[in-house]
Amino acid sequence: MESISRISSMLETARDLTLEAARDAGPRKSTRPLPAPQIKKLLDSRNERDVLDGLRRVIAMQYANPPQPTLTFFATVLKTLSNPFPSTRPLVYNYLIHHAEADPDTALLSINTIQKSLSDSNPRVRAMALKTMAGIKVPVISQIVSLAIKKGVSDLSPIVRKAAALACVKCVRLDPTTKPQVEEYLATLLADKQYYVAGAAVQAFMEICPERLDLIHSAYRRLCQMVVDMDEWGQLALIRLMTVYARRCFPQRSKRVKKIQTQEQKTKDFYEDIEAKDEDDEAIFEDVYVDDPDLDLLLRSIQSLLQSRNAAVIVAVARTYLYLSPTNYLHHAIGPLVALLRSPQDVQQVALYNVVQVCLHDPILFVPYLRHFLLHPSESPDVWRLKLEALTLIFPHCGSDEQELVLAELEHFSRAHDTALVRESVRAIGRCAQSPNATTSRRCLSLLLKQIHSPDQNLVGEAIEVVRHLIQRSPDDHRRTVIRLAKNLDTLTSPMARASIIWLVGEFAGADEDNNIAADVLRILVKGYADEDDEVRAQIVLLAAKVYLHYLNAKNAKQKAIGALNGSEDKHVEGNGSLIPSAEEDIEGLRENTFSNTTPNQQRESASKKAHPIELLYLHTLLLARYTPSYSIRDRARLLRGLLAVPSSTELASLLLLAPKPVPQAPSPSESRRGYALGSASLVIGSESGVSGLRGYEPIPEWVKEGREPDPKLRDDSGEAKTEYAPNKAVSAGQRLDDALKAETVTRKEKTLDDWLDEEEGETEEDGEEYEETEEEEESDEEEETDDDSD
Amino acid sequence: MSAIEALYIFDEHNNLILSHSYLGRPPPATTLLPLYLQHPSPRPSTLYLPSISPPTLLYSLVQDNLLFLSPSSHDVEPLLVLEFLHRIAEAFEEFLGSPLLASKITANYDIVAQIVAEVADAGIVCQGEANALRDVVETGPGVLNNLLGKVGLPGGPAPGLQLQSQSGGPSLGSLQRPTLSPAQSSQGSAIPWRRSNVRHTSNELYVDIVETLSVTLAPSGRPIAAFAYGSIAFTSKVSGVPDLLLTLSTGGKNAGMGMANRGDQLRGVMERVVFHPCVRLNRWKSDGVMSFLPPDGRFALCGYEVDLLGSGTPMTVGKGSAWSHQPNLPVPASVEVTTGVGGGGNEFEVRLVQPSSGLSGGSTSVAAASLQSNLGSGGGRGSAGGDAKAPLVENLTVNVPLPAAVRNVTDLRPSKGEAHYNPADGSIEWKVPAKDFGPLGAVLRCSVQGPTTDEDGDAAVMRNGMTATTYDYTDDEPTTEQHTALTATSKSANGRHGNGAGDGVRRELMPTSATLSFSVKGWLASGLKVESLLLDTKKSRGLGAEIKPYKGVKYLTVSRGGVVVRC
Repeated sequence: MESISRISSMLETARDLTLEAARDAGPRKSTRPLPAPQIKKLLDSRNERDVLDGLRRVIAMQYANPPQPTLTFFATVLKTLSNPFPSTRPLVYNYLIHHAEADPDTALLSINTIQKSLSDSNPRVRAMALKTMAGIKVPVISQIVSLAIKKGVSDLSPIVRKAAALACVKCVRLDPTTKPQVEEYLATLLADKQYYVAGAAVQAFMEICPERLDLIHSAYRRLCQMVVDMDEWGQLALIRLMTVYARRCFPQRSKRVKKIQTQEQKTKDFYEDIEAKDEDDEAIFEDVYVDDPDLDLLLRSIQSLLQSRNAAVIVAVARTYLYLSPTNYLHHAIGPLVALLRSPQDVQQVALYNVVQVCLHDPILFVPYLRHFLLHPSESPDVWRLKLEALTLIFPHCGSDEQELVLAELEHFSRAHDTALVRESVRAIGRCAQSPNATTSRRCLSLLLKQIHSPDQNLVGEAIEVVRHLIQRSPDDHRRTVIRLAKNLDTLTSPMARASIIWLVGEFAGADEDNNIAADVLRILVKGYADEDDEVRAQIVLLAAKVYLHYLNAKNAKQKAIGALNGSEDKHVEGNGSLIPSAEEDIEGLRENTFSNTTPNQQRESASKKAHPIELLYLHTLLLARYTPSYSIRDRARLLRGLLAVPSSTELASLLLLAPKPVPQAPSPSESRRGYALGSASLVIGSESGVSGLRGYEPIPEWVKEGREPDPKLRDDSGEAKTEYAPNKAVSAGQRLDDALKAETVTRKEKTLDDWLDEEEGETEEDGEEYEETEEEEESDEEEETDDDSD
Repeated sequence: MSAIEALYIFDEHNNLILSHSYLGRPPPATTLLPLYLQHPSPRPSTLYLPSISPPTLLYSLVQDNLLFLSPSSHDVEPLLVLEFLHRIAEAFEEFLGSPLLASKITANYDIVAQIVAEVADAGIVCQGEANALRDVVETGPGVLNNLLGKVGLPGGPAPGLQLQSQSGGPSLGSLQRPTLSPAQSSQGSAIPWRRSNVRHTSNELYVDIVETLSVTLAPSGRPIAAFAYGSIAFTSKVSGVPDLLLTLSTGGKNAGMGMANRGDQLRGVMERVVFHPCVRLNRWKSDGVMSFLPPDGRFALCGYEVDLLGSGTPMTVGKGSAWSHQPNLPVPASVEVTTGVGGGGNEFEVRLVQPSSGLSGGSTSVAAASLQSNLGSGGGRGSAGGDAKAPLVENLTVNVPLPAAVRNVTDLRPSKGEAHYNPADGSIEWKVPAKDFGPLGAVLRCSVQGPTTDEDGDAAVMRNGMTATTYDYTDDEPTTEQHTALTATSKSANGRHGNGAGDGVRRELMPTSATLSFSVKGWLASGLKVESLLLDTKKSRGLGAEIKPYKGVKYLTVSRGGVVVRC
């Protein structure tokens, strides 16, 4: 969601803003720095206002850039704790946390006062004291902190309990040996009925001991039901926890069916499954891919989080759906994911990485949202790169109208002025052309072929490169394309493009023997050999070798055939009559008479008797190569000469030169990120983050093996706590609050949700489902009595 | 591990103005900033710096010219950190006023320090609600009056509202500072997003709906994508705990589409909705109304998007017959660009038009209908000028980015308004005053100069060869041509080559797109309108007796370079 300031800035005109800015820019107070003694005097004052002013100055000095020494005030500042003013306390605490590490001894002086505040009548004061005490980085006090947390855990006020949950993290960081005690406290807090306490407890749990999943079992169902009401940060931690928990505790049933997208599974009634399960445990799950009822509870309860304003929550829900139930739930998350594209640019970019990742997994789901991925000129390179990728991923799955749209889009951007954009668009067209549909493929190819007339060298080279890949993928369909490309050799100037085309012509030199252009292309190219780039020259030499080899192969085959038939036909192979040899040499003549290109007529007559034009052409090319400045080309020419020295034995040369080439792969650029978990930073950074991701990256665990999962009965809640939340799960936070508020007028004392629910009974709309749920829970009640000690 | 490690804030001159470390020993700001700046702009919001030890991820946010940086040595969900940075910025604005200025932060370190420590406790983000922070952040008893003037003022009224509403002046009389007196906050605020003990002397409720357009037009003028991204900003200045019910209507859109109830109609228009946590989701799902207990002050209630083309529109590119059945796109202004005109073919023409289906359209137009009812409704704040005529299209600006190859633009000839070429970013900006923009539209014509002067003679021929938009590449070219190709390729292709290059050079100088910016007050592209805003006196608490809050509604549609025309 747009932040409120952005919306406001649109609503208000520039003039208003400047007025406002001018008003606000005015000095708030005299920031004139005071000498230290004077500040001390202010702090020692009995006047609240003066003390506060002094503290403000100290804090300002502490944060100023460059920071000014404030440690000298430590004792004076701590002394103000004895003042009864509540307003000074937050600042003192802030100062204390900041400086405790530097002067632990002085800091310890304050512990006593803080401990006293822990039993203050005001819960906010208690919470703040607990928070501060845990924040003091002096390891000596870890046991005191631990005790304070213990007290806080059983506090009546949820504010204090929340502070206690967060203090757990700090306590373990302070002194890792307190971990066993703290885990105990956390177990209590995880079972808290107040959603924001539970949320904070989950956050702490994820920081301290994410591997202790056994603590979660009993709280699982309640946490799932509370997730809607937690704050966004608690939701994030819970979703992360539950994804891991589900993978570890719910075996994936019937993997066989998993790959098939069956729609009826979605509609399969969840409650039927429960009843069936009660009767006959896992028998019915044999052949259908059904989520465990408890897993389904999680998946359903996080579904309404898809309307969260927090982008991180939406991506987290999408992650859970992707890794836990891609067939049944993932489609719910697609719309909200796409909606993230309208968020501020920083969020948008990260969201796009995640969108593309989901798109790699299941592009069909994104087809209705195709238009959201159209490029906008103001976008940053990262954003349009990802959008182009998403477009090409969706491309094969959409109808012809949409494909037309995508291609028009790509074509438009391949004519853009930004070279990077041009290159990416051309590559994107190339990826689109890999579509199995022949007409689409041809359409893409035609788009690319149009690009080769562009004056932009980059674009031409890139386009030809992509075309070459396409032709290599299905050579048989593209003979004519090669001819078309070859025609462009006269006009193309980009060396990269020329080299590509020549190579292609060489690859196709053996096809369609009677009507091959390779020799002719070679003839034309040889004329301009001297003016070519080294890259192109190398390809010309290679082409000559290939053409010659094909010629030799054909000749040998013919001779063999003649020999077999014992015929007496002319030994001449039919050639291309239009060829006019520009040079003729025989192998012997090369050495002695290197400058005999300008051949006299009589020699030509006699030469044509014994040498075929192709042979002459080949020899001439080798000669040219021999006098090329580039070492590598000369080397290559020598190699080829050796290879083709004996016209009658061409097996080795065929093996080397005519070997089938591997088809080049052009995977989607994000294919390399595929292994990273959705929502992680490693996904955004990509391959730079290493094989196992960045430090602290945790991959999604594998599904637990059938039969090795923890007993599902562990999740049955204990005692009356379970029925409390069961019928309440569809009630929003707002509604609960209403009731809470109503209740507050009646009674001030701490009350349970039971009381809320009793009052609410009449007005909450309940449907049959919930009642069934209650019944189910009650049934498990009875079971539970027998299995109470199973953990 | 999902803890925030540190927060650094820099001002517009990249001076460090705030540094707060939450956890461990994060790399200092002085190391991070050069590495961040080293990355070419636009810088991504998530950067990986493998060169420092330990290798660090750097998350960044730029708001109001302030740069927020947060390093992390672990793989933390990027969106979590970015949302955290946004919330920090939001909380600063709540306390220090908008826009954020470096001087405000440096003058209020005590408040800033408390906010920063409250939002994340030892690196664990635990409180993101700016309004609820008012219960815990101590701003001090009225030490200074001008501090109260902006900081202590509960939910400081947005300046725009102040100017618009004559509701008894700024509510300075209601300065009940949230202090920590036990009687008031012992039970804490029951609502996580609303501070406790809200008191206002004047009770006011404002709904501001802003829609940002994102429209892409094909060269033919046919829209290929058109979205309106809407946000509802809500301002609540009501004492106690009000319970509100906001009902929107679609202004007749989707009415005839077999949508049974109004909720379905509304959800048909408002797609992919996100809500502030205060909105009761099941009321939205069942009735299509927003029922909520608002935070105090100003907040973003809801975000949504509207597909202006309707989801049923076929996605075809504008070609040939597509012209005839162009859907009625509710956009008050549109742009057409013609390139390669003029004698030398080095001119282009930008035409600003007012589509007939736009604001002043016929009776069938959703836009016009909704506008009428908006202005007719008594609750309107009359911000649209109060007359029933079509609202003015303000701040009308056309921006034409030119390729880097363009050396100069000569001869800018706008028929209305002012146009100038900005060589720095290579674009033409053309502003048309609202009063000059009528049904006749306006035209801008200009010619570009490239680095080379090319032969002008065969301009016509070139275009024939190159700009054919047919896609029918045939694999089966006549075989005769192939034969001739063997001998005659060089001749024919040479000719084509020459043409192609010339045309290419010219095309290199032509713009490929133009963007249009404007703002329209009192009108929404989606046709949505506020039907009612009810204060449920039974469910609300702490409301004074007989309180009848002043209610106001404001609509605004803006396009910030959002209408893009390709050419």
